[in-house]
Amino acid sequence: MVKKVYFRLKSRHWIKDKTVVLKDISQIITEGIPHESIENMKICELTEADKSLEVVDAMKVVEIINKNFPGTDVQVVGPTQSIIYRKEKGKGAKPILFIFVWLLLFIGAGLAVMNFHEDVSMQEVHVKIHQVITGEIVEHPLWLQIPYSIGLGLGMILFFNHVFRKRINEEPSPMEVEMFNYEENMDRYISVYENDAWKRK
Amino acid sequence: MSLFILSMIGLSGGLAVGSGLVAFLTVLGVVPRLANLTKTENLLSLYEMSIVGGAIIGIWFSLGDPAFSFTNSLLVIIGLACGMFIGLLAAALTEVLNVFPILAKRIGLKGKVYILLWAIVLGKIAGSLYQWIFFVRS
Repeated sequence: MVKKVYFRLKSRHWIKDKTVVLKDISQIITEGIPHESIENMKICELTEADKSLEVVDAMKVVEIINKNFPGTDVQVVGPTQSIIYRKEKGKGAKPILFIFVWLLLFIGAGLAVMNFHEDVSMQEVHVKIHQVITGEIVEHPLWLQIPYSIGLGLGMILFFNHVFRKRINEEPSPMEVEMFNYEENMDRYISVYENDAWKRK
Repeated sequence: MSLFILSMIGLSGGLAVGSGLVAFLTVLGVVPRLANLTKTENLLSLYEMSIVGGAIIGIWFSLGDPAFSFTNSLLVIIGLACGMFIGLLAAALTEVLNVFPILAKRIGLKGKVYILLWAIVLGKIAGSLYQWIFFVRS
């Protein structure tokens, strides 16, 4: 009987326990071999002293399958490596660091917008708009400037589609896409430079 | 003759500034974003006309010297619209800078980038209000 295994690696996998078996990181279809024995095949082990991530190359999986079931026809579908991240316990948000970064962004954003307004002479433009619309020259057109300030925040929220996300549509926001791209890039880097298959040489 | 040269300079200056403005807006992708949010991608050409029309009225307001006598409530609407537009630009620029994903990863806040976004948004509002109410008046 023909022995066949198809597997498709997940590009990313987070683990809590140390041992990684094949079904954790891939979808598997088998022919002529018991499914469970392939599924629960140990792929690698992240020891405590080990680094926080490990790259599993498809070639390594093929090697392991062939060692356990000689003469098997192994077909790789999809990504050729899977990156395993260790889920670190108790390492969620760091409150103090977070508050620091939050304040940094808050104050920085305030400073940046003031610099921008000075840079483009926003005050003069506002005085001019006030003069055009109402006909009177006012030194501080607060009727224009306070709504302007609130609109500034509204515009940013609108761009990121945060508040109205449920109401307007289900699409991901630019921020989520940006986050995804960043992680994809990191994964691509890691899968080349942290891959033991290439490092050995 | 000098009038001809002057108008040629004006025309070429206007061409440069106009195309620069449109290029700037295109690079930031504010218009597609808005069209996408409101599901009106098919009306993009109308939005283009709106931008051109707005620019021309802006020229009239800044170079000419018109003076209407509308009420303050119109000012509130215009102020809000101006602010939202600047806010869109600011958000687009912030996104280009790519700081959020890195920051969020560093402080272990994956999935809650929005809390950091609120810092920027509130900071912008606070900075702007402070500038208009206290800073330029002192």
